Amino acid sequence: MTLNHLQKEFDKMMNRDYFSDTVHPMRKEAFAQFLDLGFPTKKWEDWRFTNLSPITKQDFSLSEIQDAPQDDLDISAYEIEDTHTIVIFNGHLQNSISSLENGVSLMSGLEYLTHKNDGFTQAKNTPFDLLNTAFMDSGIALVIEKNMAIKKALRILFITSSTKNLMISPRVHIDLGNASSLSIIEHHVGDSESAFQNESVFVSIGENAKLDHVRIQSNANTVSNMANIHVQQEDDSHYSFFQFANGSQLGRLNLRAELKGEGAYCRLDGLALSTNNQHLDHHIIIDHQVANCISHQNFRSVLQDKSSGVFSGRTIVRKNAQQTDSHQSNKNLLLSKNAFVHSIPQLEIDADDVKCAHSSTTGALDEESLFYLRSRGLDILSAKNLLVQGFVSEMIESIKHEATQKMIQSHLQNWLNSNA
Amino acid sequence: MLKIKNLHASIDGKSILKGINLNIKPGEMHAIMGLNGSGKSTLANIISGREGYAITKGDVIYQNESLLEKSPETRALDGVFMSFQYPVVIPGVNMTYFLKAALNAHRKHRDEEELDAIGFLKLIREKIKAVDIDEKYLKRAVNDGFSGGEKKRNEILQMITLEPKLSILDETDSGLDIDALKIVANGVNQYRSSENSFLVITHYQRLLNYLKPDFIHVLIDGKIVKSGDMSLASILEEKGYAWLEK
Repeated sequence: MTLNHLQKEFDKMMNRDYFSDTVHPMRKEAFAQFLDLGFPTKKWEDWRFTNLSPITKQDFSLSEIQDAPQDDLDISAYEIEDTHTIVIFNGHLQNSISSLENGVSLMSGLEYLTHKNDGFTQAKNTPFDLLNTAFMDSGIALVIEKNMAIKKALRILFITSSTKNLMISPRVHIDLGNASSLSIIEHHVGDSESAFQNESVFVSIGENAKLDHVRIQSNANTVSNMANIHVQQEDDSHYSFFQFANGSQLGRLNLRAELKGEGAYCRLDGLALSTNNQHLDHHIIIDHQVANCISHQNFRSVLQDKSSGVFSGRTIVRKNAQQTDSHQSNKNLLLSKNAFVHSIPQLEIDADDVKCAHSSTTGALDEESLFYLRSRGLDILSAKNLLVQGFVSEMIESIKHEATQKMIQSHLQNWLNSNA
Repeated sequence: MLKIKNLHASIDGKSILKGINLNIKPGEMHAIMGLNGSGKSTLANIISGREGYAITKGDVIYQNESLLEKSPETRALDGVFMSFQYPVVIPGVNMTYFLKAALNAHRKHRDEEELDAIGFLKLIREKIKAVDIDEKYLKRAVNDGFSGGEKKRNEILQMITLEPKLSILDETDSGLDIDALKIVANGVNQYRSSENSFLVITHYQRLLNYLKPDFIHVLIDGKIVKSGDMSLASILEEKGYAWLEK
């Protein structure tokens, strides 16, 4: 996508009356900054192993109001039981089929931005965040009042479905007031022929508040997906994140968690299953800014065919972040000789009284285990599948929302069967 | 049941088996004794289908067909079972799930109806009694957190569950204390019948005292140098192997 083309799309957007002009200055500023930076290249340290050509070699156009569904939308194919669902179709919030519980207020991202002076300044400087700010769709903000325990999981269903090369820029803000709790599921699906989905999510968790965040990235494998997630945690807050990714030709998770309040707990897990030429990345930064916080990272990938991936996990422990307890694990299973993974654990520790552990392994299925299973009568395919299941089972079983766990388990089965 | 004919095998060009001949009939138990490096485990591995060995001469005939070209799973389904010297730990793979999948593969192969979860649980609860394994182990991953003795008992559990015709016990006695040894021997003895055959591989007489095999063979440098009955085991225990070497 040339910068010229982007400029044209940007001008188009500035002239659409259905995009609120209150955020125009913000968009303009972000777009100017983006133009200065351009798309990341392989010369950039954090982008060495991500081939962005599916995004840069095609021209994408704005998702316009006519790209929202014109008829009633049938979402039954994407059902997850026991959730409230908010639907965003090609970037457009679908109020008609969205349901919510008391204590949750939903506003458009634009409304939110005009009300809130948010604290994610540094995060906005990454090229894809700038691009998101410049082009953000209506967006949504979920604001949970303090002391509210939201019982039912809230699902945001992102459907990307179009025959055009759409650029979709979802923007999500999640604010948890002190001592509130929420379980949220981002569910990315669709049958788009080609699309670029550039999502920015801003999560802010108040004191003693608790957020469970599951992200299911099952886009069509023609989609390129950039997820830019920013988390800020206050004292004694609790954040757990789990991403399951099996979709998109290019899917990259950029997650940055800032532990700003003492006693915060942050757990980040990810499981990616890739096949054909897919490239699925996990780029994680955990920033321990204060003392007495705990963080865990556990990321696994299973790769078939010529697929590839990156795990980059950077744990930063600042000078005054004493008593930090941080653990990082990355395991990659290569099911084909042509698949490959770059695993890049990084520790930047400036405090002296901390516990930081990390481990990384990449390898093929264990021959001895395979022989053991076959010697008990399992055919080679069943034996392989059983070992893959064993590799990922602990991760899937850690998903608390039962219907979501079940669905991911069945995605895994389908994935194994389709590679048979 | 099993006929090994002039079997020669090598690993990475190094000759290990140098002409093994052995004939095991239905219901018989044969023991192979020998020092480390004599080729005992190589023989067990070749029969069960482990890769990495070059068969340079000879054949292994099981139920009138050569085994050598068959996959490990085909051999297993046709009734060949090996109790591993070093049972493998498989994290994340649940014992019950694994055993049920293995048994149902066998049942399917025998044109029997596959067992559902309830039917399997009923069956396995009976089987674990014979090898004194607590039911809680069925909820763990395969061999995960099992002691040495528990792993070996788990091998015997798999044997009596899958009901093979030919069972190869590869140093099943190694690392067992006397109580575990008795349990393992008991499990094996209960499974003996006029149809089930065994090939027991061991260094020591200890296990053989409980099993009382019909034949004992001494393997030295890839060849069977002496065969006899239980009295041969006693002589070996007393005199060692040196008198049999050239």
